[in-house]
Amino acid sequence: MIEICNLFKAYGRQSLFRGLHLTIEKGSVTAMIGPSGSGKSTLLRCMNGLETFQGGCISVDGQKLYGINERAYHKKQKSLAVKNIRRKMGMVFQQFNLFPHMTVLHNITAAPVSVLGIDPSEAESDALSLLRKIHLGEKAQKYPGQLSGGEQQRVAIARALAMRPEAMLFDEPTSSLDPEMVEEVLLVVRGLVLEGMTTVIATHEMGFARDVSTQVVFLEKGEIVEQGSPKEIFFNPKNDRTKAFLSRFMK
Amino acid sequence: MRRFHDWLIFMAMQHNPFNIRSIVVLLVCLLVLYFSQINAFASRDTLEKIKNSGVITWGFDAEGGAPYVYHDPAHPSKLIGFEVELVEAIARELGVKVQYFQNAWDSVLLSLLRGDFDIALNGIEITPERTQSVLFTRPYYVYAEQIVVRASDNRINHLEDLHGKKVGVLYNTVAKRMLEEMGDVVVSVYSGQVEPFKDLSLNRIDAVFVDLPIAAYYTLPNPQLRMVGNPVGEGYYGIALRKEDSALAEELNKIIEKLLRTGELKKIYRRWGLWNLSQEKLFLHEGLLQKYTESLPSFSEKAPIAVTRFLPTLLKGTVVTIGISLLSMILAVVLGLILAIMRLYGNAWMQKISEAYVEIYRGTPLLIQLYILYYGLPNVGISLSAFAAAILGLGMNYAAYEAEIYRAGIQAVPRGQTEAALSLGMSGYMTLRRIILPQALHITIPPMTNDFIALFKDSSLVSVIAITELTKSYSMLAAASMDFFKLGIITALLYFGMSYPLSLYARRLEKRLRSYDRNL
Repeated sequence: MIEICNLFKAYGRQSLFRGLHLTIEKGSVTAMIGPSGSGKSTLLRCMNGLETFQGGCISVDGQKLYGINERAYHKKQKSLAVKNIRRKMGMVFQQFNLFPHMTVLHNITAAPVSVLGIDPSEAESDALSLLRKIHLGEKAQKYPGQLSGGEQQRVAIARALAMRPEAMLFDEPTSSLDPEMVEEVLLVVRGLVLEGMTTVIATHEMGFARDVSTQVVFLEKGEIVEQGSPKEIFFNPKNDRTKAFLSRFMK
Repeated sequence: MRRFHDWLIFMAMQHNPFNIRSIVVLLVCLLVLYFSQINAFASRDTLEKIKNSGVITWGFDAEGGAPYVYHDPAHPSKLIGFEVELVEAIARELGVKVQYFQNAWDSVLLSLLRGDFDIALNGIEITPERTQSVLFTRPYYVYAEQIVVRASDNRINHLEDLHGKKVGVLYNTVAKRMLEEMGDVVVSVYSGQVEPFKDLSLNRIDAVFVDLPIAAYYTLPNPQLRMVGNPVGEGYYGIALRKEDSALAEELNKIIEKLLRTGELKKIYRRWGLWNLSQEKLFLHEGLLQKYTESLPSFSEKAPIAVTRFLPTLLKGTVVTIGISLLSMILAVVLGLILAIMRLYGNAWMQKISEAYVEIYRGTPLLIQLYILYYGLPNVGISLSAFAAAILGLGMNYAAYEAEIYRAGIQAVPRGQTEAALSLGMSGYMTLRRIILPQALHITIPPMTNDFIALFKDSSLVSVIAITELTKSYSMLAAASMDFFKLGIITALLYFGMSYPLSLYARRLEKRLRSYDRNL
């Protein structure tokens, strides 16, 4: 479903990705692990058009994003591709990024109504059933500021799902949560995976990555050091850098 | 005074110093103390002081202009005018030197009473209201009011033709009062002498009605304008003194008589083209002045003027102030928002334009901007009405400040908000309108409230382009009645009554918006 070819990205003179390749199959669950600053988040944001890159191509179901240095690439084409890609993929952020001036319900219905043109009452009943599914039905009329971090992140997931995406990108969804709230969020993600949602998740939760993913990618300094099934990566890593990273983490 | 002082200290010790009431009491006490000392200073004998110091201090306003007293265009550091020559002659007779004291014409009598200078001589008409607060010498000039129209305009030939027309007059003059008594004349009040003639040439008004010396000075060299009808409403210019300076008045009266008899005064007036038959009346004895003063219509009728009589005028000024402030606020908000968005999201040249706009408008005085809009733009063929110029001037100026506030507000919204909205498929415009601006608005409410209260008060500057708003109404009424204190308090209260509800509303709005983000 997602094809990343020969991706180049640099911040000024500091280069991050130097010809990165990655394929993500429909219905797969890809866990991206690696130390902070390894490029996990950046890679997710490039897939969603939130970050530009210098070279290479990202293709999502045939919709193609090219590097800004590639020739014959029109602005109009690009913004159309970005629009289509964003409709296909929902994104959940580390900082939740709920809209503080809207109620929980309104947070979820705003985009379906204004972007997809869904009837407000229909969007509302969809939103309520989504909220019930994550056990937050009674919080519909609250403002984000009145919810705990875990509740906010669950709402953020519901907000992305309301756009009926074909894939979900999670950018360290539990990294800014208190430990006791991590599990409630992961439970929701696990539920999605069980429903067969194509999922890409950047995470530091190694147990979770090991249990739910179909593919693990270990990134370091913008480079895919090793990738494979969770069994291969976690129980039989081949590369020394992977081993070093995992041993540090499993302590 | 000593006991009063002790009482003040006692008061200060008795009360909590931060108690509002005691602060107000203290302020009022200080005010009283201040005024009582001014009076004590002014009550010294002025004639004796002049003789001892060898200097007579003359209060005037050179901005009032030609031919009275003004800066010589050929040598701008030098003051010329028939009144300069007159005062120099008087000083010579007294055997003293002249010290010049520039003072805004509007407040020249007030400054005289405060003791800033010894005499006020600057085309000050002798009126019943003024004789209540100052002492006038015998007249030194007989003026009359003259109508000036565009040379091409045949509609107006005498005073009666001014009914229903828009006529420019000078601030606080007999001419203004004459027109107001006619009832249906649309009176446009100016502070400076040049502006009404300029507006007349620009078709903004139908006629100018001013003292003859002014009319002659500006009309004779200008082929576009002409004087029509005979001068009407004769009156006298006198030298204004403080009430207690009768000795000085006597001395000055003697000197004026001497200048008349020797023909020196006539020579001065001839030189300035001001001598006419009416001036012969100056030779008549003092009884004439008395009779003249009594014959003038007096709206004070010697009784203390009830403040309620001024209220309609002040309220009318208040309505104008509110109207101008609100409309320019709306302009400032819309334009400011556009500028902020151009600066933040526009391409390179839009950013440059917005930046230049802010720097230019913030870096130049509002007063100059208003002058350019109203009096400067006609030179390139754009003639705005005074009201439009006022709103544009204020609105465009404040837009520069609003733009910076909005820019800061928009930048203060976390970047994640934009990313979340974009990731949900919202367009850039929708993100801005639905997600960013509502949050930015909340941040900008306090500084915006600040600006809008300032705008209410800055709106008084538009009086320079012939709009009679609240401050202008106040200064006209106060100058006419000499009641600067009571009227000043009322006017201040009116301003407060406008700005305070605005702060209350802003506070409520802020509280309501805060309810959603207790944790931000």
